[in-house]
Parts: sequence; structure tokens; C-alpha cells
Amino acid sequence: MRSRPLFTLRLNTAPVQDIGAAPCGIRVTFPITGGSFEGERLRGKVLAGGDDWTVKRPDGVVELDLRVTLQTDDGAYIHMTFEGIRDDGATPAPYFRTVPRFETAEPKYAFLNRLLAIGAAQIAADGPVHVIEELL
Amino acid sequence: MDFQLLMTLHVAVGDVQRVGAVPHGTRVTAPIRDGGFEGRRLRGKVLPGGGDWTLLRGDGVLELDLRVTLETDDGALIHMTSFGIRHGPPDVIAALARGERVDPDAYYFRTTPRFETAHPKYAFLNRLVTVASGDRRPEGPIYTIEEIL
Repeated sequence: MRSRPLFTLRLNTAPVQDIGAAPCGIRVTFPITGGSFEGERLRGKVLAGGDDWTVKRPDGVVELDLRVTLQTDDGAYIHMTFEGIRDDGATPAPYFRTVPRFETAEPKYAFLNRLLAIGAAQIAADGPVHVIEELL
Repeated sequence: MDFQLLMTLHVAVGDVQRVGAVPHGTRVTAPIRDGGFEGRRLRGKVLPGGGDWTLLRGDGVLELDLRVTLETDDGALIHMTSFGIRHGPPDVIAALARGERVDPDAYYFRTTPRFETAHPKYAFLNRLVTVASGDRRPEGPIYTIEEIL
């Protein structure tokens, strides 16, 4: 498989909501208060109001379920979701991968409706950073 | 991003169910008859009873939603789901609809398989994110599934 960069996404989160022990695992919700994204073909900001709904499974893997709205620097709205997994105990390095999907009504960015993407994430001091690539 | 081959999966589809025009597009469901998968770390067969629930959107993109059960050659059951999309130039999509064999590079057919298993030997599948490229053959699709490293 080949992929090429789409953008790098930085998220700012509010204090987490520790829902606690739910039937499928430990549920923790991360409210998204903002952020930014930057790539060759699109850039802009993350609007406040999204969240990442996470569940830590009994096998230690955290499942992510994120929804945010992006706003490009030229005013287009992009609905973005991803599912992913974060396995901090993975060897030789923590494993944090996602599969983002996009929906937009803006013709300039309609290519996003027609691609599958993948993300590799790291937790930086000021929040998660997701490097997102388009599957070619 | 780096990838590593996980397996090649082929499925044979039965008679499709043309559900028709639904609110989000045109829905066609393809029951899975059988199939097989082969990779360095796992191999086996696809059990009958799965399906691929497809939706042709208004923008011409086909969304696929596959669910099947895999059975390894040593008896483990693996629940597999995969969401994907397929689209291409109208003449290529028309050739696929006629049941012709088409070069898979002529269209975009990508999916994101996920796995669940209770078998310890294959538990690594529970902790992976994978991607696949599809080749829509007349007898059914072939997926080359790769693990995202």
C-alpha cells in the first residue's frame, strides 16, 4: 500500500470526563476545545465542540471514537470522524493508529469524500498530534 | 506510513439482493458464500453466512460494509468487519457492473478491516489497524490486507 500526507492535526482537549467502568471497558471522554490542521492541500482550525469517546478494553487497548468539525482557512466545514486504537504497551513502541473519514459539501474539498485515510498519533505535551495520510 | 502484508482474502458472493433506492443511495447486499485467506501468520477459510452491505451514494462512490467470520486452519474463529469505498471512471465502473475483469489500478477500492478473536494465538489481530486494496473479480473480490506498522 502507498500513502501520501494529507495533513497534521493538533487537538486541544478539556479535562477528561471519567465515565468509569462501563460494560465494554473503562470509558473516558475527551472534549475537544479546538486545534489546528495543516497540509499542502488544506489547512485551518478545529472547532470547539467535538469529542473523542474512548474505551479502555480489558486487554489494555484503548479504542478511540472521535468526531470533530474542521473549518478550513477559506471557510469550508469538514465533518471528520475516526476510529482507532491506542496500545501503549505494544512492543517495540506504543501503537496509536486511526482510520479517519471525512464529509464535506464544499466542491474544492470533495476529494476528501472519496478517499480512505490513516493516521499515526503521538501525545505531545500540549495534546495529541495526528499525522494523517491518504491511502493511494 | 509503513505497511506489512497480513493476508490475502478472497470471497465468493452469492446472488445479490437489490434492496434498491433507500434514503442514502442505492442499496445492494451481497451474501458471502465462502472464501479463503492466506498469510504468513494465518490461513484458513471464510465461513458461509457473512455479507457485504453496499450503498451507492449520490456522488457515485460505493460504500462497502463487509462482515464475515474467518476460520483458521487450526480451528480459531475470527470476526472480521471492514468498511471501504470504491469508485472510478464511469466506463471502468460499467465494465465491473457487466462482470468483466478490470485492472484494479483503474479504480479506487480501499477498505479498513478490523478483527476480533478470542483465540490467544491470534490475539495480535485485536490490536492492529489494517488497510486493504481490493480487486473486484467477476467471481468475487480479492483483498490484499496489510497491517499499519
